[in-house]
Amino acid sequence: MGSSFEPSLIVESIPKLLSYLHITIEILALSVGLGLLLGILIAMPRLYHIPILKEIVTVYISFIRGTPILIQLFLVFYGLPVVVGLFGIDITRMDPFYFVIVTYTLSNAAAFSEIFRGAITSVDYGQTEAAYSIGLTPLQNFYRIVFPQAFRVAFPNIANASISSLKDTSLAFSIGVMDMMGRGETLISATMHAVEIYISLAIIYYVIVLIFERLFKWIERYLNRYLVKDELSL
Amino acid sequence: MIQLSNIQKSFGKTEVLKGIDLQVNKGDIVSILGPSGSGKTTLLRCINFLEKANEGTIKVDNIALDVKTASKKEITELRKKTAMVFQNYNLFQHKTVLQNITEGLMIVQKKSEKEAIEIAKTMLTKVSLEHKANNYPSALSGGQQQRVGIARALALNPEVILFDEPTSALDPELVGEVLDVIQKIAKEGITMIIVTHEMNFARDISNRVVFMDGGVVVEEGTPSEIFNNPKSDRTKQFLRRLVPEFTYEI
Repeated sequence: MGSSFEPSLIVESIPKLLSYLHITIEILALSVGLGLLLGILIAMPRLYHIPILKEIVTVYISFIRGTPILIQLFLVFYGLPVVVGLFGIDITRMDPFYFVIVTYTLSNAAAFSEIFRGAITSVDYGQTEAAYSIGLTPLQNFYRIVFPQAFRVAFPNIANASISSLKDTSLAFSIGVMDMMGRGETLISATMHAVEIYISLAIIYYVIVLIFERLFKWIERYLNRYLVKDELSL
Repeated sequence: MIQLSNIQKSFGKTEVLKGIDLQVNKGDIVSILGPSGSGKTTLLRCINFLEKANEGTIKVDNIALDVKTASKKEITELRKKTAMVFQNYNLFQHKTVLQNITEGLMIVQKKSEKEAIEIAKTMLTKVSLEHKANNYPSALSGGQQQRVGIARALALNPEVILFDEPTSALDPELVGEVLDVIQKIAKEGITMIIVTHEMNFARDISNRVVFMDGGVVVEEGTPSEIFNNPKSDRTKQFLRRLVPEFTYEI
């Protein structure tokens, strides 16, 4: 923006941007955590063929997959107050942070539920029969036998989806949440140096993604502890 | 002690069980024999409701259920009285050998962890696998996995153990070790119902043999009655193919 390229600005702005890292992490942690719970829940109607609910979640998942996250964010930000307003509750002044959480939770849940559905079907039904044969109830069978194994199968995909979601959090600024991206925009206005700031942001996001990837690999190895080696290489 | 009356089961339009009556007394070891498709495995699976029969009543110990009206809760109660050994072992892959056995003891029978581990170790010694307690099933051979499956069933101290072709998925050289274990526990007086293709084993171990074909019980009796002196032509025909006759030995 007019002025010449100043490499020192890249280094200088990193600590300033990092002071907003916790917002990014909070959005990610809450939306992935809540997304996992909701994702498991909305996988159920399709797994157990519950009429009506099954159709509703199918449409919901298809809608989330078929629309850009930015539009979902605006739809929730402008649409949710209208819907809730019908019941006489005013949320127009609510912190935009919550709208971000709602949007990313809904979006993650759709992705996670499809991952879970595949993973749960992949667990050999014989083990369910064995669980029943020793007297476990269907619920006990689900959370003690089927789900732990399905989670192992689902984990690599969950991890990938979470990393995508981490990058998507940079859009939260569009509805006024002051995260790293937001702080970056204000730094650009103040310094009139856009490229340097975006380079800093790119470095930060990239390093965080690398850290998460390493962490997820580590968890994956733990989850796979009960497999023999040649099964892993398949 | 176990009483099956008029068990009928169809898959779609195919009638697999056409009204089976079977009574098993305490301590009985009953082998169910018959050609493939005769309904013997389905019958076994109907006893613990892994297959839901369309018609009939099932009584195990003091629980008698009409298959048409049995609730999920009643079915779980009946399953607590039985245990099953599967053709494909069906061990819990994410649990160690020891945890596979303690699972039912702790979760279903609400035993303390200490007590459950103690029982599990005793059972593992019975099947000679005490040194594998902390291994995962994927690290065991088929024969070892099936012995764990037997220990898991045995540990629950059920009224009856149902064996569904326990050696059919095994490599031939591993069949012996599993049959030996079953033979050993049979001496302890546990009631067993065994679906098997191992004729010599059935003859040695059982005190009663049931021959099924086409969804009905064709004939039942002691091993010597069935193997040496079968009455029905269908049984004779079946055994002739499977049990070598003396005349071949010359």
